[in-house]
Amino acid sequence: MRVTVIGMGAVGGRVIDALAADPDVESVLVLHRQPDRVAARAAQWPDKVQLRQGGPGQPASSGRLARARRPAVAPGRVPPSEPLPRSGRAAGPPGLVPLSGRAAGPPGRVQRSGPVPPSGQAADVTVIAEPAAVRRSALAALEAGSHVVCPVDDPIDVRHLLELDAQARAAGRTVAIGTAMAPGLSCVLAAHLVPRFARVEEIHVASLGTGGPACARRHHAALAGIAIDWADGAWRRRAGGSGRELVWFPEPVGGADCYRAALPDALLLAPAFPECRRITARLEATRRDRLTSWLPMLRRPHPEGMVGAVRVEVRGWNADDQPDVRILGAATAPAEVAAAVTAVTARWAGAGRLARLGAAGLAELVEPTGKFLADVTRAGVPVSLFEGAGS
Amino acid sequence: MKLVRRTAAALAATVVIAGIVRLRGTGGVPPRRGGWREIPVDELK
Repeated sequence: MRVTVIGMGAVGGRVIDALAADPDVESVLVLHRQPDRVAARAAQWPDKVQLRQGGPGQPASSGRLARARRPAVAPGRVPPSEPLPRSGRAAGPPGLVPLSGRAAGPPGRVQRSGPVPPSGQAADVTVIAEPAAVRRSALAALEAGSHVVCPVDDPIDVRHLLELDAQARAAGRTVAIGTAMAPGLSCVLAAHLVPRFARVEEIHVASLGTGGPACARRHHAALAGIAIDWADGAWRRRAGGSGRELVWFPEPVGGADCYRAALPDALLLAPAFPECRRITARLEATRRDRLTSWLPMLRRPHPEGMVGAVRVEVRGWNADDQPDVRILGAATAPAEVAAAVTAVTARWAGAGRLARLGAAGLAELVEPTGKFLADVTRAGVPVSLFEGAGS
Repeated sequence: MKLVRRTAAALAATVVIAGIVRLRGTGGVPPRRGGWREIPVDELK
């Protein structure tokens, strides 16, 4: 399997390490805007990892161009005027969310040169671990015949990628959207719990912590953005920073107050579980985070957050027609979780083990979920079950 | 002028009280029963 990885930050670097150590991975091509900055790390794998400047769909050294062509929407903010479908399935293919007119360039004009290594062979899988120009990168990778794995957590990026469903199906490839901690592991945990119910009523996702600097900026923007929840068959917009709820994460994290925020979990879970009545996502925040969320970040984000956790609670009715609650979670540094989930997804995509073609979240793509979670656990992210929460 | 001062004072008080309400307190109570258990790989399969 040949893999291209775009970006080498807190998540991308770990993904490269995981894939380079895999005997089934033949080569890893790393595309970076400033390769000199990451050359030392890439040199740890001289036989497998090649480093190149640039990214898919953009010529070398055109990082500024890529930024300028991002949709004219502030990160984490979904303009109230944009229509959301009443149902992910009602809008056409599962998960397709129309955002036409805000696309980062027409699909047909993307250059093919990016994910093709110097050898001329296209990568089997392209991992986009870089927050800029995600849609263009994904399009270029699809056109080059590569599966795409995106650990994105921006609702705008997620909606742009969901729009690629038809193109990915036509190309016979899969675009795995949101392969981080939340969304990502959260989607697989939800998909693992849902079959335990005769009828699922509610799915609630909560996450704590940030990975690298880009993730910290997203956390900050998300609290000031518009939260999108799925409620009774329709999308509901609520103010970010509202809806405080004390959430008990796996040890050693414990309890933390979480709030609504501009998170994409519901966008990915609603198409997977259309029968579910309510899907929400919350983000842990401190009082200072809430107070300053409407301001620019007052100081530079930390290189990497080392504390993180995710918790997924599913409510519904069991086979005996009794109300039931099941909760799964994990407590590991967010960048480690994101890298483990992304690397496992890339392996599954390369091996043709993902459940379907097209663009979707992991709740739709991973089957059987138990084997996926076992792979993630072996990669250093143990999953925990909350016992004693049932009816 | 008196009306303006009173209005300004009322607005300031509202902002302060809203800020206090928004920032203080917690979002609930810890679970009274149950606890987390790490799932072994064999159990996940």
